[in-house]
Amino acid sequence: MTCIKLIFSRRPRLKVGRLLGAALTSRRCLHDEQVTRESSALPIIHHSKYVCDLPLNHRFPMGKFPRVLHFLIKDQVITEKQVWVPEIASKELLSCVHTEEYLNNFINGKINEQEQRRTGFPWSEGIVRRCRYETGGTVLAAEVALQRGLACSTAGGTHHAFPSFGSGFCLLNDLAVAAKYLMGISSHKRKILIVDLDVHQGDGTAFIFKEEPSVFTFSVHCGKNFPLRKQQSDLDISVEDGMEDKEYLSTVETHLPLLLETFRPDLVLYDAGVDPHWEDELGRLRLTDQGLYQRDLYVMKTVVSRGVPIAAVIGGGYSRDIDRLALRHSILHRAATQVWRDCGM
Amino acid sequence: MAERGEDFNDVLDDWFIESLKTYKDLHVYQLEHPTQVIEWTSGKTVCVAGYSSSKNEILELQLPLKLFADENKGLCAERDFKVVHGGFTDGPVRCLRHVPGTRCVVTNDGLTSDLQVWTVGGDDSDVIRRTGSVAGRKRRRTDSEGGSRIAARCSTQVLHGAQSDDIQLTHLTSGQILYTPEITSSDPLSSLQFVSDDVFLAGCCNGNIYLTDTRTSASPQLSPAPASPGESVLWWTDAAAGVSSGSVVRLSSSGRAVISDLRNLGAAVSQAQLSVQSRRCNPDDVTVSWAPALPGCIAVSGFSGVVQIYNTSVWGVELQEVQPLFGHRGHAVSSLPEEGDVFITSHAWHPERPRTLLSAASDGSVHVWDWVDQSASDR
Repeated sequence: MTCIKLIFSRRPRLKVGRLLGAALTSRRCLHDEQVTRESSALPIIHHSKYVCDLPLNHRFPMGKFPRVLHFLIKDQVITEKQVWVPEIASKELLSCVHTEEYLNNFINGKINEQEQRRTGFPWSEGIVRRCRYETGGTVLAAEVALQRGLACSTAGGTHHAFPSFGSGFCLLNDLAVAAKYLMGISSHKRKILIVDLDVHQGDGTAFIFKEEPSVFTFSVHCGKNFPLRKQQSDLDISVEDGMEDKEYLSTVETHLPLLLETFRPDLVLYDAGVDPHWEDELGRLRLTDQGLYQRDLYVMKTVVSRGVPIAAVIGGGYSRDIDRLALRHSILHRAATQVWRDCGM
Repeated sequence: MAERGEDFNDVLDDWFIESLKTYKDLHVYQLEHPTQVIEWTSGKTVCVAGYSSSKNEILELQLPLKLFADENKGLCAERDFKVVHGGFTDGPVRCLRHVPGTRCVVTNDGLTSDLQVWTVGGDDSDVIRRTGSVAGRKRRRTDSEGGSRIAARCSTQVLHGAQSDDIQLTHLTSGQILYTPEITSSDPLSSLQFVSDDVFLAGCCNGNIYLTDTRTSASPQLSPAPASPGESVLWWTDAAAGVSSGSVVRLSSSGRAVISDLRNLGAAVSQAQLSVQSRRCNPDDVTVSWAPALPGCIAVSGFSGVVQIYNTSVWGVELQEVQPLFGHRGHAVSSLPEEGDVFITSHAWHPERPRTLLSAASDGSVHVWDWVDQSASDR
């Protein structure tokens, strides 16, 4: 195991902030020693605590997170040595996006029933913990992407969470926390482009960064899907029910290069939700496996070939067949592996 | 106005998230005009029809195939209702019955006691066309009465009547009257149904029930309404055909439900006061029906925009208030606020799937839903 991984996984009380500094230091000293093949392969961010118990027959496919990793390893797309383990997101880190009151209630189980209902989750200590690890994972993916150019989490994409409440299976907004954190606070802020291709609009993220010029929110979503009450991203593309591979890809190709050209981000956060797939139980589009793969390949290659780092999260996907869904989510990591190879990373 | 629209979208979003937990399946469809009838024509298709005063559409809808793809829901993308056959009527459709073993349905417009016979599709046609009629006995009708009730047990005969003294069993094609029960009182009917090949039950709006055996010439057995002192109420009746076979429910417009056994209709096995808002009802408004595949359960609709499911097997002999096992609020929640209160116009259980129902409301919405048994998912 490399020095960097030791730091990330063996000091549980260290906040992510300090880790970033530590990582940079170690990197400098590691640079010459870094020869092992595994450590130079595509970074995959995963934590066993991305999951928690849910009531029997709960609609959220919690089991998918470990299965994504399982299939990637089983199919020899990656090895365990590529896996980076995140820290739990501290309250301090989360407070850069979420309100103090919400975080206190959330962490201490004081979310009332009405608010819980809108999230789709009954409150539990387990759900709090897994959301915090998931957010930590997205933040780590962003940090590693800044170092290595590309990184993927096996979770993430909780874009319906607002500063003071959760919604639609999202309790903390991981993309917003990662963007806010990596944006920095100096006068020369990093510019972050959030590309959200989940079939549902990234309403929470859009709201959070509405007035923030350093973060550009771009969402392609199906108009008729949840949420019906839409927020305003910096660029919203609302598509019709039933859109298929060709037209969808064309839509992304129309906008992404131009955004990269005009906004010139220092980092891209990519929500690669698989719910535009025709088999998705909630999404109303008709993409195929091939369409998703082409989409992910296109997004990551376009960004990487411009020298911009990109961190990807798996986003949404809904199916009662967990394995089938996990395989679908793993398309992202397979495409990322291809990009890593093609771009000589 | 835009703000109000956003609030409504918010309500719909809340409902969507809640429905993910409450239902195994939920699919919605919007008819141009509301229907008062829902009748299965096969395991996957239903007939609906409008009830406005002049021309109406009569449609055969195929349910979203995704509903039936139990083991492989992900593999079936078909999540929409489809209109497979359609036609036009000259008047309202107040009652609609499928004739078993045929592609025919029979309707009544509530204006006379005559029936219209329709053939659905055939020869690659997607049309529902009028192919016959059946004359009823009495022509005279008043507005306060519901129309004819219709029942069909076999492919060649239809049982129908608007009042207890004009019930007849008629040969479908020849129009020949095969049987009329010896009943002299003229009570408007709220239901007519076969309980076996030869025995049928006629439920009257005043709560009387006539049990008739077509094999005998003896007068039908009359079972009077449960005593309801001081109240002027309407009654609806349903006799169970599936797992609760032998049970009969009588429901009053004040929300009182009485359960009896078919062999002893005079005695109440159990009863309960349902949690419904009593309202001024017409005979066509309320539907009560036994679940074909869920023991002891009944569905009740028409008092509001909610379809309620009750488990009668936990009721006692003493009249007590009971709470529903489940309430489908989808129509009420998703109706536009400016359209006023929405009411359920009809509901129907799926003949085999235990918790699958169809419901239609006054705003033209049609839902098919399969609710989650909460007691089974408690940990």
